[in-house]
Amino acid sequence: MKKMFFVVLSFLFFALGCSSAKQSNTVTVWHWMTDRQDAFVKLAQQYKKQTGIDVVFELYAPSDIYSRKIIAAAQARVLPEIFGVLGEKKKLVSFIESGFIADLTQEFQKDDAAWEKSLFEKALDVNRFEVDNIYKIKPGLYGVPIDVTNIQMLYNQDLLAKAGIKVFPTTFDEFLNAIAALNRVGISGFVSGWGEIWMIDCFASNYAFNVMGEDKVMATYRGEVPYTDEDWIKVFNVFKTLRDKKVLIEGIVTKGNKYAEQDFALERAAFAFNGSWCVNVYDKMNSALRYGVMLPPRINPERPMLIWGGAGSSFVVNDISRNKKLAVDFLKWLTAKEQQVFLAQETKNLPANKEALPLIPKVLADFASAMDLTTHPSIWKYNEDPLVVEAFDKGIQAILIGEAEPAKIAAEVQKVKQQEMERQKKR
Amino acid sequence: MFHNKYRAAKTLTSILTHIFLMAVAATCLFPLLWMVRSALMTNETIFTDKSFIPQSLHFKNFYLAWTAGGFATYFLNSVLYTVCVVFGIVLIASLAAYAFSRLKFPGKNFFFYIFLAAMMIPLPGSFVPLYVLMTKLHLANTRIGYILCMINVGLSLSIYMLKTFFDKMPSALEDAARMDGCSRIGIWLHVALPLARPAIAVIIIFNTLNVWNEYVLAMLLLNDQSLMPLQRGLMVFQGSHSVDYPLLMAGLSITVAPVVLVYLFMQKHIIKGLCAGAVAG
Repeated sequence: MKKMFFVVLSFLFFALGCSSAKQSNTVTVWHWMTDRQDAFVKLAQQYKKQTGIDVVFELYAPSDIYSRKIIAAAQARVLPEIFGVLGEKKKLVSFIESGFIADLTQEFQKDDAAWEKSLFEKALDVNRFEVDNIYKIKPGLYGVPIDVTNIQMLYNQDLLAKAGIKVFPTTFDEFLNAIAALNRVGISGFVSGWGEIWMIDCFASNYAFNVMGEDKVMATYRGEVPYTDEDWIKVFNVFKTLRDKKVLIEGIVTKGNKYAEQDFALERAAFAFNGSWCVNVYDKMNSALRYGVMLPPRINPERPMLIWGGAGSSFVVNDISRNKKLAVDFLKWLTAKEQQVFLAQETKNLPANKEALPLIPKVLADFASAMDLTTHPSIWKYNEDPLVVEAFDKGIQAILIGEAEPAKIAAEVQKVKQQEMERQKKR
Repeated sequence: MFHNKYRAAKTLTSILTHIFLMAVAATCLFPLLWMVRSALMTNETIFTDKSFIPQSLHFKNFYLAWTAGGFATYFLNSVLYTVCVVFGIVLIASLAAYAFSRLKFPGKNFFFYIFLAAMMIPLPGSFVPLYVLMTKLHLANTRIGYILCMINVGLSLSIYMLKTFFDKMPSALEDAARMDGCSRIGIWLHVALPLARPAIAVIIIFNTLNVWNEYVLAMLLLNDQSLMPLQRGLMVFQGSHSVDYPLLMAGLSITVAPVVLVYLFMQKHIIKGLCAGAVAG
């Protein structure tokens, strides 16, 4: 009996060593998007029917495990035909420098740049390297956005109606009036995941661009304008006003976005500040929720309200793959109008293809229509020092909980900025 | 009178002890029961219905989790990996531990410390070299590759535990076996292993849990969905921004069930093994 057991086990060990060989006309895609796997598989089946090419989507999640996997696969030189690089642009740069990512500029520019023109420019910018870029990468386009995202405000149509508000506010004063009306009928005004400081940073940056414009914001990052400048005080004052006028839901400073999403989906607040991914989240939590999308209400009517956004997820093509051409063809097909409409409907993400907008649900189209107003730190010419950003965001949190006033925080942030500039000079 | 007082004090102590133990048990069981309760709800009621027993029970979630998560294949894979890895660890660790404890060979201590040092290296730190090595050996994306890596993960601690156990084993037992004509392997098989049963039980349960819950290494080494373990099925319900809580909880309930059963069947051995280990250590 024991001998038999050992024989069976030995057989198992040998049998387990077999692995399936990969076919030569297969395009393998590695991704991390758990919520899109089913839709991707359906599209791959459709592509196989149309072209006879096998496309295999392999899912590795969560994203940190995926990131480790692609780094390990790059070192072993076994990256698939198509994959995505998550994280900072520096990481994308290191993959390009190592020769793992193909320059797709020529493909985008074929047929009078038809492929490039069909996609949102802001989404392409995330994977674009301009002439004289700081990374010294050959100028060009190195990635294909498969969806886009942006962060805006949402309003609950039913709660606004209860407070007698017929039109959503577009200016900051109208917004404050709406909040007062909501408070009168016992409805909380605004919720967001400001326990996650990047969301505060995002909201504050929207107002900084609206109040003083991009040039002055960048000048501040370069150290030419102090945070104690009148315009920056105005930005800090936005948060003071939100606090003083009781705009914010209780505990907003410690609220993770997940909990903020629950509050809005369960109608505990009339306004929210959230990313376009919320459409999927709200639908799962409360499919009967009636809401609309709006830009954060402007303070300065002279300037546009820029919002954070860009490519949601991007794919790149493995430059050393034998099936590079097949991979590019598949990505062209995947980002074509029909497939983008399908992906948007199935996954409730914003399509990367502009032509898909008329055919997708209204709330997604409303989100996507603001793509021209998007900006993102990853495409800015200058980025603020992380220590200054931290002091800035924590300072805003201090204002929100009533621990400090704008002038004091502005001075503190400027102090950190000067310290960092001096440290950089010494280096 | 004295008897009554004594009995009352004893009863009171017993009641208080039981209340305390029941409270501890409740805190352990509550998350499990909450998981099962959440598995029976819908995505919409899970955030609104705060009652412990939901108003309407959705047993279909278990079926949906099983089918949507592709649990059938993953479940079989996990069973296979767990059986092979745990068997491999027990076999290799017991042989190695016995050798370190009883045999004299050059570099014995050096090799033992190398094994101990391996315990200090966190798994994520070895991801890249491990992946490169397995790729070069053509063992990436194979079951045997994953099994070998997992055996390696569990070996150090198991060897250490068993060596401590074998060190305390009286040498008279071995001498008697040798006089009866037993070989080295015979002594290991007929004397050392049966005596180490409690320690082996602990090794089995620890490694079963470790392999059953392992996910990161599987994601790194395996590509084919058909080779993935059970934890992979759970990821289907967790999107980048949204989570399908009822199906995730149903999937978790399915995943946890076999481990709970192993615990229930082996609890006597586990307690004995932990106590014996404590004495030996």
